[in-house]
Amino acid sequence: MDRRALFNRVFEPHPASPGPSRFTNAVLRTQDNKEVRFYDDLIKGKQAVINFMYAECHGACPLVTQTLKKTYRELKDRMGKDLFFYSITTKPEDDSPAALKHYATMRKADLPGWYFLTGNEYDIQTIRFRLFGMGHPGFDLDDSLHAGMLRIVNDARNSWGMAQAFASQKNILKRIEWQDNPKSYAQRVIESRARQVLIMRDVEKYGYRRDV
Amino acid sequence: MPKKKAKDHQNTEGTVSRRSVLKIGAAAGAASVVAPSVLSSTALGFQSGTVAEPVSCVQPSGPSPAHTPFVAEFAAPFPADDHNLSPHPTEFPNLGAGEADRAPHQRWAQFAPAHFTYELEARAGLHTFHPDYSPTYIWGFNGQYPSPTCLNKYGKTTIVRFRNSLPVNTTTFGRNEITIHLHNGHHGSESDGFAGDYFSTGFWKDNMYPVIYAGLDAFGGIGDPTEAQRSQWFHDHRAEFTLNNNILGLNGMFFIYDQVDPGHEHPSAGSLQLPGYYGITDFPVILTDKRFCPTANGRTEMVQAAGGDKWIVNGQIQPKMTVRRRKYRFRFLNTGPTQTYDISLIKPDGSVGTMVVVATDGNLLENPIPVDAGANAGNSNSNTAPIVPGAIRVSVAERYDVIIDFAQFPAGSKLYLKENRTMSVNPGNVFAGLPSGLNIGQVLIRFDVVNREPWFPPDTPPIPSTLTTYPAITPTDNNWEWQFTRDPVGTVPRLFRVRRPFDGPLGCVFDPEHSAHCILRGTTEEWLLNNNVGGSAWVHPVHIHFEEFRTLKRFVNGVEVPVPPLQSGRKDVSRLEAGQGALIKMQFRDYNGRYLIHCHNMAHEDAFMMVRWDICPDQASLDACIADQQVCQRELDSKLRLEDGEVA
Repeated sequence: MDRRALFNRVFEPHPASPGPSRFTNAVLRTQDNKEVRFYDDLIKGKQAVINFMYAECHGACPLVTQTLKKTYRELKDRMGKDLFFYSITTKPEDDSPAALKHYATMRKADLPGWYFLTGNEYDIQTIRFRLFGMGHPGFDLDDSLHAGMLRIVNDARNSWGMAQAFASQKNILKRIEWQDNPKSYAQRVIESRARQVLIMRDVEKYGYRRDV
Repeated sequence: MPKKKAKDHQNTEGTVSRRSVLKIGAAAGAASVVAPSVLSSTALGFQSGTVAEPVSCVQPSGPSPAHTPFVAEFAAPFPADDHNLSPHPTEFPNLGAGEADRAPHQRWAQFAPAHFTYELEARAGLHTFHPDYSPTYIWGFNGQYPSPTCLNKYGKTTIVRFRNSLPVNTTTFGRNEITIHLHNGHHGSESDGFAGDYFSTGFWKDNMYPVIYAGLDAFGGIGDPTEAQRSQWFHDHRAEFTLNNNILGLNGMFFIYDQVDPGHEHPSAGSLQLPGYYGITDFPVILTDKRFCPTANGRTEMVQAAGGDKWIVNGQIQPKMTVRRRKYRFRFLNTGPTQTYDISLIKPDGSVGTMVVVATDGNLLENPIPVDAGANAGNSNSNTAPIVPGAIRVSVAERYDVIIDFAQFPAGSKLYLKENRTMSVNPGNVFAGLPSGLNIGQVLIRFDVVNREPWFPPDTPPIPSTLTTYPAITPTDNNWEWQFTRDPVGTVPRLFRVRRPFDGPLGCVFDPEHSAHCILRGTTEEWLLNNNVGGSAWVHPVHIHFEEFRTLKRFVNGVEVPVPPLQSGRKDVSRLEAGQGALIKMQFRDYNGRYLIHCHNMAHEDAFMMVRWDICPDQASLDACIADQQVCQRELDSKLRLEDGEVA
């Protein structure tokens, strides 16, 4: 058995991204009223955390925005470079770029690398189906069911993940990390040692690993 | 090339453009080219490279494609291949070699190294559910459906390396993140498949099953032998996608043997000599129901449906089985995802035959209980869905081990295993030769009785009248209550929840981060499980991880009723039908960590009817756990805080 082959498992090339045929290349507008194409400008070669919201939402959306803001602080060095947040409105008829700008400013979320997007309702529903569709009309037609979910996409690696927006900071960061570009073996050994220390701290303190 | 076309078609979900219509045409045209290679790879029983993603129909208008009854052969899944793992299993996660992060294995020094090591790789594969069908895209362990069965022995540690090689970018309804729960093993929580501990494609995780009896701390050695459990199963437990991943096939069986039930039938010290040759006289009967799309492009793909219209037994639709005139053991397991089965044995004359239940949820009964038309063992006391006489009700995740004695029937007889509901059958195909009163759509398996050949193992002695003695029940330290509710009409979304009596009107949704109940290790608790709040009309097969329980009382609409005999043994699933409640008692021993209680109707657990509870090793840990206990309706509380301007 070639042990090196086992270590290198995660470095195996992933199939190429299906590109716009999966994501669509719909024209959207950012909170700064800039026109962007969904795949070409926002997804291609990038890692992104995508959620759905609308400006007048008083339930889950502000909390998700809050969570994303905390996550943003943690990942500040990467934001706008290889990692982006996209908050897409489910009510494009109500949410103009200006309304989203207001929402983002009010929540102190108008930050580089974080776009609030609006567009054509048909395009947005299509994107929602493509990213969150479960193939079940009962779930898919209910806008509210995706409110608490974050879709994590890494187009360069062509990998997909998901996180619960109400999960802890650590949990969300871990799920974003899962979609990161593959790391070198040396890097992973370093991380494994660091994480082991944290796990042991938990085990010594409580007698078991409490954190998820 | 054809594979790419198929993917493109799937991607048009939600929009149908002229371009996509053209693509569908192209995919159909390519079918004749695709089919032979797909079929031959299935015939060889393995897949090399990737399997083309399915092109599923979303909601078929008609029933699943027709099948011819009793063509497929009933067989046990292959036993899992026990071989050395490389790299070697380690106490701490081997992150450098691609293992997902986890807590160190508890009691590693005591039980390592492992005696049995299995490697089960979750990956896409093709399986043919019926000879009339084309191959179906599945996710299975080692690409197989049903998954290989792990065979284990008490006192011999097993480590199963679960490898996630599911497609990175999948167009199926499954999620390529898994966490494998062994239902209902007694082991550390790092190996328990906690719903929040899922890991994604490219990683693997070692689950360490010391395969010991519960009661290690009190008894020493490998625990109290009267705590033995035998028919277990493992399945994906990914929070919110358990149903999807289990429909695709991520589940399998896990048998444990010891001196009492040694996996053979020779007279040996302590052996009950129950039928016990795996795949010869001892069979798992893994039940599920699926719905299929019309056959197209050389595939008969399955639909994501909470209830199917084809009953599937060990991966086959209506198989037949040749049985010799002797006793056989069948281990019923309902892998769901949601439906409940009422199973009875139909004799050649159409009357109900006898099945002797020897174990419930893998725990031997103290005395075997014969279930027949005359003396119905009373598997359920439901008012709303009374059970038919002679049937055993098996809700999702429940296991019933039964012994059927075919020696009483002459060679040439045909017997039938019947489910009370009716599956879809080809209306044009009238099936003659069934006993009167039996509908072909109700038959799960046909048994063809033949004389025993000289080479076949001879019959086992009569079933002993005493199979085991249950451990003494310890005094109760604490009482607790869980209510299984659904949000009232008008709530969006209407979630299924678990509620503690002191919670707000709604109750909790699943939060992997917070424990809803903290337990001091070594204590005994009485739990009241209730399904009579909120007018819920659903069946909730409530499953508690880690420990077996005893049912002290059962309630129907708040009134105490006798415990049905088949519910009185040690179990790990308590079926709560409409209006029912149960008072159960269990000990929490030997390991620390976080475990779950949830409804095993997979649609319900995915809709958040699940909570976490923790076993804490000492008082300080318990206090810390209680301080951080789950507050239900957390969203509501946070919203209030937000309005107060505490966070902005």
